[in-house]
Amino acid sequence: MSATRRKPGAPFRFNRNGSGSIVLPPRPLRLAGGAGIALAIAALVVLILWSIAAAASVEPETARTAIDIPHLLAMTSIQAGLTAVLSITVGTALAWALNRLRFPGRDLVVGLFASAIVTPGIVVAFGLLAVWGRSGWVNALAQAVFGAPLDIPVFGLGGILAAHLILDGAFAARILLTRLDAIPAARIKTGQSLALSAWQRFAVIDWPAIRGTIPGLAAIIFLLAFTSFPVVLLLGGGPANQTLEVAIYTAVRLDFDLYGAVILALVQIGVCATVVLAAAALAPIPPSLGPSRGQRWSDAPPARLVQRLVLFLCVLGFALPLAAILLDGLGGGLAALLQRPAFWRAAGTSLVIATLSAALALLLALILCLGRAATPGLALRTGIGVPAYAYLAVPAVVLALGFFLLVRRLGLDPAAAAPMVVVLANALLALPFAVATLGPPLDAIARSRARLIRSLGLSGTRQFTHIEWPLIGRDAGVVLALAFCFSLGDLGVIALFGTQDFATLPLLMVRALGAYRTNDAAAIAALMLCLTIAAFVIIPRLFGSAADARA
Amino acid sequence: MVTSARLALAALLGLAALPASAEEVPILRIYTYDSFASEWGPGPALKAGFEQTCVCVVEFTTSEDAISTLRKVQLEGTATRADMIVGLDTAVAGEARATGLFAPHGLELSGLDLPSPWTDPDFVPFDYGYFAYVYNKEKVPNPPVSFEALIALPATFKIVIQDPRSSTPGLGNVLWVQAAYGERAPEIWAGLKPHILTVTRGWSEAYGLFLDGEADMVLSYTTSPVYHAVAEDDHRFAAASFEEGHVAQIEVAGILKSSEKQTLAKEFLTYLTSAEGQKEIPTTNWMYPVVDLGADLPPEFAAQPKPEKLLEIDEQTITANSRAWIDAALDALK
Repeated sequence: MSATRRKPGAPFRFNRNGSGSIVLPPRPLRLAGGAGIALAIAALVVLILWSIAAAASVEPETARTAIDIPHLLAMTSIQAGLTAVLSITVGTALAWALNRLRFPGRDLVVGLFASAIVTPGIVVAFGLLAVWGRSGWVNALAQAVFGAPLDIPVFGLGGILAAHLILDGAFAARILLTRLDAIPAARIKTGQSLALSAWQRFAVIDWPAIRGTIPGLAAIIFLLAFTSFPVVLLLGGGPANQTLEVAIYTAVRLDFDLYGAVILALVQIGVCATVVLAAAALAPIPPSLGPSRGQRWSDAPPARLVQRLVLFLCVLGFALPLAAILLDGLGGGLAALLQRPAFWRAAGTSLVIATLSAALALLLALILCLGRAATPGLALRTGIGVPAYAYLAVPAVVLALGFFLLVRRLGLDPAAAAPMVVVLANALLALPFAVATLGPPLDAIARSRARLIRSLGLSGTRQFTHIEWPLIGRDAGVVLALAFCFSLGDLGVIALFGTQDFATLPLLMVRALGAYRTNDAAAIAALMLCLTIAAFVIIPRLFGSAADARA
Repeated sequence: MVTSARLALAALLGLAALPASAEEVPILRIYTYDSFASEWGPGPALKAGFEQTCVCVVEFTTSEDAISTLRKVQLEGTATRADMIVGLDTAVAGEARATGLFAPHGLELSGLDLPSPWTDPDFVPFDYGYFAYVYNKEKVPNPPVSFEALIALPATFKIVIQDPRSSTPGLGNVLWVQAAYGERAPEIWAGLKPHILTVTRGWSEAYGLFLDGEADMVLSYTTSPVYHAVAEDDHRFAAASFEEGHVAQIEVAGILKSSEKQTLAKEFLTYLTSAEGQKEIPTTNWMYPVVDLGADLPPEFAAQPKPEKLLEIDEQTITANSRAWIDAALDALK
């Protein structure tokens, strides 16, 4: 920390890239808020692990789980690493194409792409199979054209990567697109007048705008793939493809070896923390932001052709599986489902929980990101940022069990605590995405507007309402939509906290599947997808116009 | 902003912490697996039916699956709020019994209609089925008649099974191969390997893959075709009858020693095993009832052939060896 020897009350000095020192206005409240939330999340993780370990000590010794941890780690890391690299590459190409192209229904395509990641993985996997599987569309077409089906290897590492790419690649594109769309119009105008080629424009203008976001995004995708469980089992083709999460599940469920589970969970948290720390160290602070309305840019015809091709391929790859889900669900089963009171109860519960947890996620993310942006030292910045990823690193089965034990220890009634635990858990689930979206622009504003804020002597509140909010309003809308949809599609802890009367849409879907009601399940999946796409189209637009009105 | 959020959270938590008002009407708290208590499961009808006969309220607390309900009770010990668990099965009964948390049921159950006479002093059976591979008669005109016949088919004939570590039928499959082949079990698993499309986490994913046409057969129950016949009037599905015989899954309920409502819990078990309660089971859990329901049982159940040979492994052997058998099966599949 470079600012340790400053005088009390003196402003922080921030030195970066030799470009002279930037002096941040002192914001002790923001710092305390950010650090407080980060500490609270870290404490929650410790409490959860502790409550399981404490329960384990009461249990008689059972046979310890014999697992080849290094092998599992290597397997899982390869799969997750490939997923992250592929997703970021495809996501960057797609965001680039979408940023340049204007066409009717663009918002819908953007919304559709973002919706994949918040749809339950199993649903997406089945959508993938509906297109590429043995009885899928592609094979039906091949049968009609060539008279023989193609032998497409959907099961195995390829299938796992394809499903993860659909889930995460399109999402990466959505987040990177917000960064590209936020490039100040003036900078683009300058670029155009300098007659930059398509490649030069990407290297000089686009890359600096997105590279601050890529490490955090890659870390999230790595963590998602690292802890992915049902998709890996479904498409893995056998027990050769496994993740550490499966081993933890086995330790809890089958062996009831809670010590083993906690140790494995710590290994997983350790790996995930390393990845997040590396990402935090790698992420540069992006350049300044400005009003970005009216971006106008026209590339040369060859580049436009490539953009159209990228878009076409991605629509084929990403949208077809989702279209398969919609087609499957909006057919026969829908009418019957809509007549079930349980469906409307679950839909109501889902909407309330999603709204609450989205608001909580946005609030937590703002406090964390504002705190981080007001912090000059790298170590403290990292310390505030890293706990946001906790929910992705802690295995779901450990989280659910830990929450259950914690609630019991606090003397609460699990049934009564369930809605709050679910709201909190869902907010924590969306938090890394929210921090990855809001963090880079807030950092950029803090650095580029520091002088202006200090010279105007703005208070923290006025700094937020007059400078920060107008610039990040759009991003906040994306975060709210993301958190809302994550909560809508999350199964997470609710399955372990359920009572007959407290059910959300994804839980109802799983229940329908477990009771042979595939039509009902397909209809619920399709409706969740529709809701998600609608949320992604509508919510950011509301916030965008609100932010524009204030700007 | 921070403080108000904290206050709001504290208030929310405070609401949950309010002491439950003294029970004016006794509450029977039942831990069960999620699909039992769900909209489509037997839970709602059983709750309504039993509440008409007692002055009480039935409250289900659900876990993802049956084994998780046992884990919860093991963690809570005697401090558990649960009065009973409904939905364990014969494959985990031994482990559950060994916890010492369950009380004898004290019911006279010799009149029940089960694959073999019931003598268990702690657990009460409430439905059963046989594990079997289900296929579509139009797509598979000549289904295999044994595991060895299945192995002899070309590798393009695909089956989908469930992970024995996370799924009840998955575990049942391991026990089935073990009961039928003993020491040859790993050899059978290795033979099955080329036919296994994938090993899913739970039953629903596997069954979904089968219905979508990704696999030719799926590990499920002999009663699965009955669902399609009764609920969808679809008669294309059948369960392959294996010459080795089949293993039964019997679902059971048990009363916890720590419960202060032993009598009420016993009354519930009596209701659960009565014709009144049993008639709710077949078309919700899609398993056989444990009493003869006569005309209350849809004829499609009777039309479904039951296995000619029943394979059984005793409880102690299962409890002592199931983990080793699972590992051996998974090793053979790797």
